[in-house]
Amino acid sequence: MSSTFDRFQENLSSIKSPFEIISLLIKKIEENNSKCHIILNKSIKPLHFINNYIKVKEIDYDLILKEKKIWSEKYFSNKFNLEPSKTKYKYTIVNYISVGNKFKGLIYISYNKKYSYEILLNQLNFEISNLIEKENLRKKINAKNNLLKNKTLEIESLFDITEMLNSDENLKPLFDKILYFLISLFNASKGIIFLRDANSKNFNVQSSFNYDLNKINSRIIRDTRGVHKELKESFKSRIINNPKKYPLLEEGKLNCISGPIISNKKLDGSIFLFDKESRKGLTTFNNYDLKLFDSIIKKISLTYNNLFLVHSLKDSKKMIDSIMSSISTGIIKINMLGEIEYINESASSIFKVDSKSIINNHYAILFHNNQEILDILERAENSSHIFYEENLKINTNENNIGAVNLTISPVFDDGINSGMVVTLEDLSNINKVKSTFKKYVSESIVDELLLNEDSLELGGVQKDVCVLFADIRGFTSMSENLEPEKVVSLLNNYFQKMINVVFKNNGTLDKIIGDELMVLYGVPISYENDNQNAVNTAIEMFKELKVFNEKIKDEGLPEISIGIGINFGKVISGNIGSDQQMNYTVIGDNVNIAARLCSVAKPGEIIISDSVYNKLNTSSGFNLNKPLNLKGKSKPIKNWLMKVS
Amino acid sequence: MSKVINTESKDGLIIIYTDGYLNKDLGEEIQKIAYEHIENGELNFLLDLKQSNIVNSIGASILIEIIEKLQDVNGNLYLCNLAPIIEKTFNIMGLTKYCKTFKSQSEAIEELS
Repeated sequence: MSSTFDRFQENLSSIKSPFEIISLLIKKIEENNSKCHIILNKSIKPLHFINNYIKVKEIDYDLILKEKKIWSEKYFSNKFNLEPSKTKYKYTIVNYISVGNKFKGLIYISYNKKYSYEILLNQLNFEISNLIEKENLRKKINAKNNLLKNKTLEIESLFDITEMLNSDENLKPLFDKILYFLISLFNASKGIIFLRDANSKNFNVQSSFNYDLNKINSRIIRDTRGVHKELKESFKSRIINNPKKYPLLEEGKLNCISGPIISNKKLDGSIFLFDKESRKGLTTFNNYDLKLFDSIIKKISLTYNNLFLVHSLKDSKKMIDSIMSSISTGIIKINMLGEIEYINESASSIFKVDSKSIINNHYAILFHNNQEILDILERAENSSHIFYEENLKINTNENNIGAVNLTISPVFDDGINSGMVVTLEDLSNINKVKSTFKKYVSESIVDELLLNEDSLELGGVQKDVCVLFADIRGFTSMSENLEPEKVVSLLNNYFQKMINVVFKNNGTLDKIIGDELMVLYGVPISYENDNQNAVNTAIEMFKELKVFNEKIKDEGLPEISIGIGINFGKVISGNIGSDQQMNYTVIGDNVNIAARLCSVAKPGEIIISDSVYNKLNTSSGFNLNKPLNLKGKSKPIKNWLMKVS
Repeated sequence: MSKVINTESKDGLIIIYTDGYLNKDLGEEIQKIAYEHIENGELNFLLDLKQSNIVNSIGASILIEIIEKLQDVNGNLYLCNLAPIIEKTFNIMGLTKYCKTFKSQSEAIEELS
């Protein structure tokens, strides 16, 4: 026997699978016409598949424990509903299987022939216990593994929510995502997010999932009562075990987990998740859920706060950008490193550059064609003073030439120099306007017009205007004896002198009609002394003419004689003409009177109407002239005459 | 509410279409339908989650139960049209190790039929 048993033991040690060992052990026991039953708890699954070798039945622990005695084979068969053995056995032996002090089953052997089963039985028990232990260990590892998976899911979810919260999204899609995320993470059945409306201060539903909003939508939700009042007072996430007591949370069946969205120490919203799911059905949220939920809610609050700051910053930036792009002054912000941080549309337009290509580049790139600006900037970098340069010529990126008034100011943040701001007043358009206007009006009028656009009235309006006509006497006969080039040259030189006088006295050159000048005072800008200016113009014209005549006399040219007529009164001023040609001028009876007075004035005479005379500060030199009967006038016109020597 | 919106047999596959939250309720509905088909000897399932954009771990664990059942009978569960958040949850839960996923139903049918 011992040698057979030894061989059997050798066989066993060569077999690695515990199942095969168990099977062999059972076979060995049953070799001696014995019967081996192994009764195990049905939950011990790994032994199920060797059903062919051993009996695995449901086990009643209590029964076994209570009746821990040696049963007869019949009693045993009845107890465990086994098919009664046809063989009558004389003896029975029971071996209890326990793992870690816990009873797991028993091995029951019925036999007739005495045999030493002890070693086999102990070996079988050891193998089965070992297997059960391994199975328990496997279950524990699986459970831990599942727990680990859930923890991984939670950690991944925290990463996800961080990413989600940092995304540049609008509130609605962001909070929809947040709610979906929370529902999924906490196995919740439903959920809802409220946010406070900035204007009404009431709370509105921002997002919901599986939630019947019919009752909620008609409610005014404030933090003065109900669940929001409690959240406002506690500022804490909490589990609400009887959600139905709050009208807003009536949808909850078991319990609800709630959290406040806090921004600037104020309750700005709330999040509620309802009825946690488990494999067995609905369950309640626990303290572990609350801890995780609270940490996420705090993150959401922080993000909500940041989101508001970002939105307000964006709004501010948008507003500043709008202001900056609407102003005509070019603005460039340069940082301490000399890099361009900001350039507005006007500055881009002045230098004809694309702002995007200039941002973050050194200013030397923008001003590479403008050494003078570079020099000033270098000086400004080493100074804390404001630099100003007027009418500075600049070269644009497209090699055009322009002019600007340049100001460079240092910028200080909390007393620390943070760079410079360059402002550029584009003079190109102003200069164009000036050069065009200067042909018609004096520079002082142009400047005033540019400074004060309201003073310019280009529509058809009735105004008090002083009109001066100056005509060359005997020009036709004079020009007949001269070559045409000389006539033109003579006239141009004469007009140049006369117009200078006009502008000097704030007159506006209305037009040159042949050899006649028509000058206005009081349009487009009226001054208090328009009449005096007109008379002064007339007197100075004669003075200039005297000098002019002396000059041309030396050149062998004939002297020029002029007569001047001036009238003051209401005229209609405006842009008069057709679509093709339109001129700003004045029309009316008083214009005609001025022309008539001029036509009757003899060479060296200034004739002014009574209306002009009455407005003069200095009227010396004028004598009352005999009334003149002018064409188109029923009554003679009172007038005053000055004879200029 | 989440539900199975359609089940059809196509190219040797039982295609189950879902709508909404893949939670315990929807998971169990899918499981019931799948088990009925398994009883009838149909062993290859394609779960089209195009209209489901949210899942929880209970829903995922029920799908694992279905996969276990199918493994016992040499059957397969395939998934298609997974929203990113669902795919991520399935990956973490280890579900995608045992069942192949496809971007679209047509891609699944082309490869499996």
